[in-house]
Amino acid sequence: MKYIAEIDGMEFPVEIVDEHHIRFGDDLIEVDLAAVGGQPLYSLLMDGESYEGYVYPDDNRWQVHLRGQFYTVRVLDERERRLSSTKTNISGSGEFLLKAPMPGLVIAVPVAEGQPVEKGQILVILESMKMQNELRSPWAGTVSRLRVKAGESVEQKQHMLTVMPKVEAV
Amino acid sequence: MFKKILIANRGEIAVRIQRACRELGIETVAVFSEADRQSMHVRFADEAYLIGPSPARDSYLRGEKIIDVARKCGADAVHPGYGFLAERADFSAACADAGLVFIGPKPSSIASMGDKAMARATVAHAGIPVVPGTEGQGSLRDDELLSLAPGIGFPLLIKATSGGGGKGMRDVNSLEEMPELLASARREAESSFGDGNVYLEKLIPDARHIEFQILADQHGNIIHLGERECSIQRRHQKLIEEAPSPLIGTDESFRRRMGEVAVQAARSVDYTNTGTIEFLVDKQRNFYFLEMNTRLQVEHPVTEMVTGLDVVIEQIRIANGWKLSHRQEDIRWRGAAIECRINTEDPYNNFTPSTGRITMTQLPTGPGIRIDTGVYIGFEISPYYDPLISKLIVWGETRAQAIARVRRALEEYRIVGVRTNIPFHQTMMATYPFIAGEYDTRFVEEQFAMIDAAENRELFLDVAALMATMVAHHQMEHRAHIYPRTGKRSPWQWAGHPQEPHR
Repeated sequence: MKYIAEIDGMEFPVEIVDEHHIRFGDDLIEVDLAAVGGQPLYSLLMDGESYEGYVYPDDNRWQVHLRGQFYTVRVLDERERRLSSTKTNISGSGEFLLKAPMPGLVIAVPVAEGQPVEKGQILVILESMKMQNELRSPWAGTVSRLRVKAGESVEQKQHMLTVMPKVEAV
Repeated sequence: MFKKILIANRGEIAVRIQRACRELGIETVAVFSEADRQSMHVRFADEAYLIGPSPARDSYLRGEKIIDVARKCGADAVHPGYGFLAERADFSAACADAGLVFIGPKPSSIASMGDKAMARATVAHAGIPVVPGTEGQGSLRDDELLSLAPGIGFPLLIKATSGGGGKGMRDVNSLEEMPELLASARREAESSFGDGNVYLEKLIPDARHIEFQILADQHGNIIHLGERECSIQRRHQKLIEEAPSPLIGTDESFRRRMGEVAVQAARSVDYTNTGTIEFLVDKQRNFYFLEMNTRLQVEHPVTEMVTGLDVVIEQIRIANGWKLSHRQEDIRWRGAAIECRINTEDPYNNFTPSTGRITMTQLPTGPGIRIDTGVYIGFEISPYYDPLISKLIVWGETRAQAIARVRRALEEYRIVGVRTNIPFHQTMMATYPFIAGEYDTRFVEEQFAMIDAAENRELFLDVAALMATMVAHHQMEHRAHIYPRTGKRSPWQWAGHPQEPHR
C-alpha cells in the first residue's frame, strides 16, 4: 500500500510493504511499531533506531508528538491524493460559528438573538478551570442561532452561536 | 504534637501535606467533593469525608462544613494547603473559635496581608519600597480609579484586592480601554474570590519576579530560606520556578539585603508560620514589595531541594508552638533546583484547558528528580479545579546540570488521555534566554513562541511521517475488516478502537 504523508507542505512517500518492512523514498526499512500498553503512545524501531511518540487523530489529520515537538501529518493513499488534487476551493458562507474553545461554564451572554454586534464585541464569557475567557466577534454582524445561556455548561467545540456578517461585508 | 490533622484541600498539595503528617506520625483526615471520590488524597488518608458536590464553592470552599467535619472526627488542627480557604482570615478565625489550630498565620496577619492594598500600606509604613499604585486607599469605585490612573501612568495593572494566580488581573495601556477592563477584572474577581474589589499598580518594565520563603515561629524568630525566581509566567500564572535566582546568582550581599527586607516585611504584620514575600526587581536591581502570600506555596519544593529542609514539617512544628529548629546562619543553599508546573493545557492551542481521563502515565525518576502529583491512571481531569496536575522538581549540582536533568525527565514523562504543557517546558529548556538566565516576567507572552523556539531544534519529520502513516494504515485495514470477537490481535498491538477519539 502506497501513501503520501504531508507535513508543512513537505511530502514523504511511504510504502507499507508488509508488517515489518516499509519503503521510504528509495530505502527499504525494517520497522516495528507497538502501541505501549494499548495506548495511542507508540514505540517505533526503524532499522534499530528507537523513537517514542503520541499519535492522535485530529479530523482528517494526525497529530504526532515526538521528542518534545509537535507535527501535524496528513496521510493520503493514492486514491485520496488524486481526489484532493482535483478539488477546487469553495469559499465558505461567511458565517462565524462560535464554538466553545474548551469545556466550561457560560458566565454571561451579553448579546441577544438578532442583535447587531461590532467587531471585537464580547459574545460569550466562558469560565474554565477558574479563568474567565471573553469570546469576541471577529467582525461586525448579527447574532443568530444563539444556543447557550448563562449558567449552562458547554463541551469543547460545542456550537454556541453564529454571527452573520453585515450584508455589505459579504 | 498534634494527633490528627484535617487537610482542607485536594490534589497534589493534599498528598504533599499527608506525606509530612505520616513522617511525623500524625493521622490525616481528607475532605473531598463528589468529583474526587477516587483521588489519591482520599485513598492515602486515614479518614476521608465527603463535603459536597464538585464545584469548589459547594465543597472545598465550605469552611463551616469542613470545620464541622474536623470537630466530629476529633482533629486537633487544620492545614489549608494553598488556594481555597488558605488565605481567608474568617476561616482561620473560625478554626480558632472551634478549638482547632489553623496551620498558618493568625487571622490578623492574613487580613493585613491578604488585602493587598492594606499589605502594601503596612510594609510601606515599615519603610519597605512598594510599586506605585493605589495601595492603602481602600476599595475605590471605577470613577475614582479612572481619575487616579493617569497619575500612576500607563501601562498599569488592575489587580484583584483578594486576588492571586492572575485572576481578576488586567493590563491597561490607555485610559480609553480601562472601563471595560475594570468591569471584566471585577467580574472575574467576584466569581473567583467573592470580592470584586480591585486596585491599580504601575507596571515595572523588564521586571523579574523574585520571592523569599519565610519561616516564623510564635516566639518572635523569623528567618528566610532564600529566594525563588518565578519570572517564567503566562497571564500572571507561574510556570517555572527556580532557586537560586539567575539574577542574584552568587551576589550574596544582594541576597542578604533582600532577605533582610523580606524578614522585616513579615515582622511588620507580626507574622507566624510559613509565608512568601514577593518582590519585583528591575534592571537596575531595585526591588519593590509586591505582595505576601500567607500560606504554603505551590513552588515550595524548589526551596526544599536547595536547603534540604521540609517546609511542611516546619509549618506543622511552628503551629504546634515549637521554636524554629534553625537559625538564619544555619541555612545553607546547595546546588540549583528547577520546578516545572505540569498543567492540562495545550501549548499548541494557545494553552487551552484540556479535559479527559488519564489512560496512561509514566513518571520520570532517577537522580535528582522529584514528582509531586495527585493524579493516576483513570483520573478524570474535570473543569472544576485548576489545571495543575503535577510538579516536576529537579535538583542539580549546578544550574546547567539541573537544566539537563529537567530535559531528560521531561522526555521520560508520559501522560496519555489529556493534553499537557510538557512540550512547552521542553521548548523552554532549549530556549537561549532561559538557558542564559536572562528573562523577565513578560518573556513567555512577548518573546516566546512554540514554533520560533522550535526552529533551533532537531526535527524528526521523517519519523513523524512514518509513525502517522503506519497508524493511519492500520486504521484503514481495521475499517476494511470485520473482526471476529475471538480474533487475534495484530502483532502491532494497536491502541484502542481507532474511531475512538483520544482527545
